[in-house]
Amino acid sequence: MDCNYHLDRFKVTVPQLGQLVAAALSRGGDYADLYFEYSTYNELLLKDGEVTSGGFHIDSGVGIRVLKGDRTGYAYSESTDMPDMLCAAKAAAQIAGGSGTSPAPAGSKACTGAPAPDFYPTLEKWGSCETSQFIPVLEKLESMIRAKDSRAVKVIAKLSWSESEIMMYNSPGELVCDSRPMGSIVATVIFSQNGKNENKTSSRSFRKGVEMITDALLEEIADEAVAGIDARFAAIRPKGGRMPVVMGAGASGILLHEAMGHSFEADFNRKGQSVFSGMTGRKICDSSISIADDGTIPFNRGACNYDDEGVRGQKTYMVKDGVLVSYLHDRISAKHYGVEPTGNGRRESFRYNPIPRMRATYMENGTASKSDLVASVKKGIYVDEFSNGQVKIGEGDFTFYVKSGYLIENGRLTAPVKDLNIIGNGPRALADITGVGNDLTIDNGTWTCGKDQSVPVSCGIPSVLVKALTVGGN
Amino acid sequence: MGQSNKETAAPGLISGEEMRLAESCMAAALRSGADQVRVSLGKSVLDSYSMLNGVLDKVSHSADRSIFLYVFADNRYGTFSTNMLDEAELAIFAERAVKTVGMLSEDRCRRLPDPSLTALDAVSGREAGLYDIGYGRMDTGRRLAMAEGECIFGKCHAPEGCRVISEECEYSDSVDDNYLIDSNGFAGRHTETSFAVCSEITVEDRLGNKYSGYWWDSSPFLATLKLGRCSAEALARAVRQIGPESHEGGRMKMVVDASVSSRLVSPLLSALNASSIQQENSFLKGSEGKEMFCRGLTITDAARTPGKPGSRLFDTEGVATEERDIIRQGKVGMYFTNTYMALKMGIRQTIESASRPVLMPYRCDGGEIRPEAGSFGAKEIIGLCGDGIYVTGFNGGNCNSTTGDFSYGIEGFLFKDGEIRNPVREMLITGNMVQLWNSLLYAGNDARECTRWQIPALCFEKVDFSG
Repeated sequence: MDCNYHLDRFKVTVPQLGQLVAAALSRGGDYADLYFEYSTYNELLLKDGEVTSGGFHIDSGVGIRVLKGDRTGYAYSESTDMPDMLCAAKAAAQIAGGSGTSPAPAGSKACTGAPAPDFYPTLEKWGSCETSQFIPVLEKLESMIRAKDSRAVKVIAKLSWSESEIMMYNSPGELVCDSRPMGSIVATVIFSQNGKNENKTSSRSFRKGVEMITDALLEEIADEAVAGIDARFAAIRPKGGRMPVVMGAGASGILLHEAMGHSFEADFNRKGQSVFSGMTGRKICDSSISIADDGTIPFNRGACNYDDEGVRGQKTYMVKDGVLVSYLHDRISAKHYGVEPTGNGRRESFRYNPIPRMRATYMENGTASKSDLVASVKKGIYVDEFSNGQVKIGEGDFTFYVKSGYLIENGRLTAPVKDLNIIGNGPRALADITGVGNDLTIDNGTWTCGKDQSVPVSCGIPSVLVKALTVGGN
Repeated sequence: MGQSNKETAAPGLISGEEMRLAESCMAAALRSGADQVRVSLGKSVLDSYSMLNGVLDKVSHSADRSIFLYVFADNRYGTFSTNMLDEAELAIFAERAVKTVGMLSEDRCRRLPDPSLTALDAVSGREAGLYDIGYGRMDTGRRLAMAEGECIFGKCHAPEGCRVISEECEYSDSVDDNYLIDSNGFAGRHTETSFAVCSEITVEDRLGNKYSGYWWDSSPFLATLKLGRCSAEALARAVRQIGPESHEGGRMKMVVDASVSSRLVSPLLSALNASSIQQENSFLKGSEGKEMFCRGLTITDAARTPGKPGSRLFDTEGVATEERDIIRQGKVGMYFTNTYMALKMGIRQTIESASRPVLMPYRCDGGEIRPEAGSFGAKEIIGLCGDGIYVTGFNGGNCNSTTGDFSYGIEGFLFKDGEIRNPVREMLITGNMVQLWNSLLYAGNDARECTRWQIPALCFEKVDFSG
């Protein structure tokens, strides 16, 4: 990508970038980088049948990071005036602690080599449209939902879109830029039946421009928002205990993200805190299992042309044929382990230093069908919607709230269940997977990972059978 | 640090010039056609020093400023923000904001609060008593020394059979300054400092199993920050978890530690939010004035307790806070209602959210509770209970906001005959919030001083555990 637009946007020149890096390294740091950001975020909210609130938000600034060994100095400036940026650079420089001299500014290595592929080319920018153009979108979505189920007493629909212009420069002189669009639609519906209420949420989010809004997408969201609501009203809390669990394809991937994915992030392993510390090269689960984290899925919420350290987007296997083959690295951990960064250095905004984060995390397909997996269970549960997962990185213990699912009795789905938790241990659950389906689905909901900072991610999984997990019930 | 230190004049972060910028932004929005405008100007500075295994690992300096603009025009409403605080750019920003509001649908309930409800006593920002002028004397050396002072890595002796894998400690301090004005003439300022330390320690037992413990302290004032204790407490918490045993579960008494008990109060306060009630998304719809819970449950919003975390004189609309009973002896005393929801629902306006909720001590047996803070805590309650599970952490879970049904993962300890026995793991609790709070047996007086929500140790009977 030609960086002249971004240099103009932030009113800086390449020699000035070099001066900033030199100031950042003035106390003896090994490496420094700059992360410029200009983001606009817009939202419209429909409640009680009308779009009565909305707004836009502008956020701009530059983050400056200095590394000395594994140590980090970080500061940022909301102004891109040189004196303010130099002040931030000097604050970040403190980490090196010495009184060293400024190195000579590096030249720019921008636009050398093959251009990075664009995983989110935009046909129509959000910023080129008037806000009023999107109001009928939410009204149409509400009409679709109400037409599909008369028990819908409240519909809250939100459309949000953002565009981020990013420019990154580092002490080796690499200059890269990225334009990141994101559009999201969320519908929350309250249903009422015989004096009882239930709620359901459906969402879609893509790194796309205005072209993401189609009737087909709205239909898909509306269908999902009303799907399974009969079962939700009829659902019971089953008797708890340890039992086999079949995870439904798609959204169950959040369990993979929380219970296993975080333990593969290299910062936890570098510090010895993860249950997978020191286990690369070891077999940790059945040979039929491969798990990847992928920044290259076109238009995916977790896609990255570059990560937030200027490393190209890529697909990284953490588990290949049952063997732990790689952690997810940022530049610090990659240097620590003597490997190449995997493009997982991500951050919420210029206010945060990058750390190893997931992108789109999923398990690859196996060979079983969903019906085979269910048929193999005499007594257990099938789960198709999770939320509120949490994991303890050191112990690997996780808990997930099951929003909806079914009992499995004698190989068949029977009574619907809801409002229960499953609890287990990540490595043990991974080792206890005894069947992997052939129906991998990437869930395109508005997943946001909250490890210290919020970043957009997505997740996916085929149907999977875990031979025993603790299910909380009555 | 004495009281005089807190009262001495201090400038805060927002300059007179920046206040004028906020006013010019409001004027620009009015000029562009807005009927009413509210502007919130916020500035903050945060410094943190993180240590890994006794060595400095990360130094971070953050300085933020932003303007939030709330526009009411032709019965329409929108919210906007920017961190680009140049006067000319702000005028363009305000004009764009008003134009955007004009595209939205009408909603006649959108307006600024009645001026008679807004606070008049938040002038300097220091009235809530949360500003430590010692903040201005903080420098790199002092901050680093306090971060280093938390470290015990390499100096502590873990119990035989386990070793410390890692120790992460952090010292941080911050100052937040907020200036809120509206076109009805309201002007209010809130300034507060915060000092915090925390530590997380991971240990490994003989079998290679890892356990982590976390502890923290914070205070608006450096002098009352409990320094040098976090790592020892985090280590003790990690070690206590070694050797957990499975438990078959059942219906038992549950004692919840004061450090995590707010998790069970949060769904109640969320369900009392008028917006949730109006959207049919609250299990406490229609509960105002009704006795919904056990008579032992009283929660007061002590919003005006100068010098204590959570104290504030006005909410984000500028509405004055006051001491209120949220729930008294099991009866719901109020919904949290802002101007918009009050007009929309035709109910009385209160405040948009709780500031400093305080759950009062209680004994179901009518026994005496000595008034000294901490005299009736988890230890005493366990002694009274006999057998049950002592919950020291929640691990995931959720409460269905529409029905109140909940399920949470827990960690903690089995106790028998009033004595704590082994740690338990992979356990869950399930139930319904209304039923749970009707089974309250005890509430302690050991809420942590450093928290905004003053929720003590709690004890409930007949809680369903799964293991």
